[in-house]
Amino acid sequence: MRAIVAPGLIVVLLLSSAPAFAEDVEALRREVEQLRKQLQSVTERLLAIEARPAPSPAAPAGGTAPASPPMTAPPMATAPAATTAALPMAPAPSLGDYARPHQPFALAERRGPGQLLFDIGLSADLVATLTQRNVEKALGGSFPGEENRFFPRSIELGLFGQIDPYARGVVRIEVGEEAEDGDREFKIDVPEAHLTLLTLPWSTQIKMGRMLNRFGMLNQIHEDDLPQTDRPNVLTRFLGPEGLIENGAELTWVAPLPFYLEALVGIFNGDNETAFGRGSLRAPLATTRVRTFFEIDDANAVQIGVSAATGETTEKHRSTLVGADIKYKLVPEGWRHPLLTIAGEGLVSNRKVDVSGDLDGDGTRLRGGWYAYAEVQPWLRWAFGARYDWTQYPVNPGSEWAVEPYITFKPSEFLRFRLGYKHTERTHRVTGPDDRGSARIVDEILFQASFILGAHPVDAF
Amino acid sequence: MRWRLGLALVIVAALGWPGRPPAADRIHVVATINDLRLLAEAVGGDLVETDTLARPAQNPDDLEVRPSHMAKVRRADLLVINGLDVDAWVEAIVVGANNPKVVPGAPGRVDLSLGIPVLEVPTVRVDRSMGDVHPAGNPHYYLDPGLTPQVTAALVDALARVAPQHRATFETRRQEFLERVSLALNGWARTLAPFKGAPVIVYHKEWAYFLARFDIRQVDTVEDRPGIPPSPGHLAQLVRRMRDEKIKAVIVSAWNDRRTAERVAADADAKVVLLAHGAGALKGTDSYFDLFDYNVRHLAEALTPR
Repeated sequence: MRAIVAPGLIVVLLLSSAPAFAEDVEALRREVEQLRKQLQSVTERLLAIEARPAPSPAAPAGGTAPASPPMTAPPMATAPAATTAALPMAPAPSLGDYARPHQPFALAERRGPGQLLFDIGLSADLVATLTQRNVEKALGGSFPGEENRFFPRSIELGLFGQIDPYARGVVRIEVGEEAEDGDREFKIDVPEAHLTLLTLPWSTQIKMGRMLNRFGMLNQIHEDDLPQTDRPNVLTRFLGPEGLIENGAELTWVAPLPFYLEALVGIFNGDNETAFGRGSLRAPLATTRVRTFFEIDDANAVQIGVSAATGETTEKHRSTLVGADIKYKLVPEGWRHPLLTIAGEGLVSNRKVDVSGDLDGDGTRLRGGWYAYAEVQPWLRWAFGARYDWTQYPVNPGSEWAVEPYITFKPSEFLRFRLGYKHTERTHRVTGPDDRGSARIVDEILFQASFILGAHPVDAF
Repeated sequence: MRWRLGLALVIVAALGWPGRPPAADRIHVVATINDLRLLAEAVGGDLVETDTLARPAQNPDDLEVRPSHMAKVRRADLLVINGLDVDAWVEAIVVGANNPKVVPGAPGRVDLSLGIPVLEVPTVRVDRSMGDVHPAGNPHYYLDPGLTPQVTAALVDALARVAPQHRATFETRRQEFLERVSLALNGWARTLAPFKGAPVIVYHKEWAYFLARFDIRQVDTVEDRPGIPPSPGHLAQLVRRMRDEKIKAVIVSAWNDRRTAERVAADADAKVVLLAHGAGALKGTDSYFDLFDYNVRHLAEALTPR
């Protein structure tokens, strides 16, 4: 029943937005008339500008004051004199430009006739790990199967832009090395392919397709944008190494309040096998999140969020996750970057499992974990931080904690290097295939190099 | 009982107080940068309520998208954008604001760079080896008071799209404002006239429009490539050039690396002059006229032979 009601609600919302799209004939007529007037006004201004005398050429080099300074201001609304003559407008790309081999984003950044109608970006995230031999054999590192290797974790091609006046689309295609059963191969994935309806009524939006769920603080962050090289242990244990990537729809509402308050509900297949795995809308994964944000003053700001997700596992048992997150930033007045960032997130999972000879009773697993990190960025290009992790295992007994200090260097907005050390201690041994090794205590050196080709990355809080 | 009353108030506030006067009384204008907010205020007067996303002292290129920005845009009737990539972050804010009035293509949105004679548009293919270049050209046209007729004309059109009944009022206010700008521009031009053709060094290429308006020559930059720290080789070459060409002023803004600029100026026997990169960026530059008064006065002082 729930499976029918939830998609039904979404359909009702979509249909109710129809008036937003509908165009009243009378309104259109008025708009055309208004546009006609605007065009006439622009034409008149253009003629007036063209009628003015040409600006004077740039003054010769020198530095001394001219003998008789003019007493009138340069004309308004003309191109300033000095540089327009030296820098003519860029020509539109010709057919030859398109035919010539080039980097794809170059065309996306062209303006004027012939430009692409969407943006293209590319990011690459390269990681290297060094750890003990026994950890490698047990596949017990932060990137199982990739211990003591330099590997491309994620190379991502992103295509995004307006689909039409009503919707925006994003498609990201990801290639990365993945290790499975001792074999490594490049895998192509599509972590995101979704559209967002932007013009729905009542401050709502619907995003549908395949997406990184807005569950918690870090789940929707791409690998190359994470605050540390690896995802926090609690997230990889409870949501899997890739995080929660699902197919379905999310409805968001931004409250008409003086401060930011966003509420979200989502319905998904529940494909994530680590946490759910049922993979059917007959027993969908339902998610919700509420996020708010306060600027304490010009320098201090804090974001608080709570999230929940409930679905069914492959064994058709209920699995529920509840999380809370908080992030604080201090950006002193006039700084181009935060001086201090402190953030943390906690998760609690309640699920039933099929076990033979269950010693805990009825097969219910109430488990959880958390992480917190602090980062200091005294200079634009350098940041130093440390993260602490503690988590239980979702199904099996035991827990682990880890501490990870790191240093980040950003030569520019488009390039970043990060070096970290991670020490992990587990209550139980992790045993590799064929019992070749074990990993209870793990020491790792993690190196990361990330770069972006194309347009500016957006810095988000 | 008290908590129920509190909850009821929150719900009523969230849904909108039924007896509240319509918000259409004042047009809520949100501009990406403060200078454009001031221009919208000049044209809109008491018919508009204005807000800005980037703080006055902030380099708009560096803005970190925050949910508080989304809360502002959520309430906007008109979103005023600088364009030319300097505020490209606004798209992320719009997506998070859930406000159909200001999505791309909606009438409640205006990009003021459209129709501006853009400077420094690259004529060769650019890539990131050239630093953080703006492929569409220099976006800092708001520092040219001579472009106010075009910019405010676009604002009148945009405001009239939102409130067509007030078009005449907007146009009248625009004309009044332009008269004041024209008068002030004469004064600024007179102050800088003795330095016509004078060469200056800038830290970052944000002064192209301002300098070109008053015929001051920008001959080089402290950062050899935008957004990339200058190399020692570039700085040494710059100092040589400044000595050879007797360049006496290095223009910096509040967000530039002042120590590097001061080292260069000291080595070349020149002066560092701190100018406001936007209204409100420095003390005493809060209004549109204060901004240019301050910048013109300080630049003239720096160029005056000692």
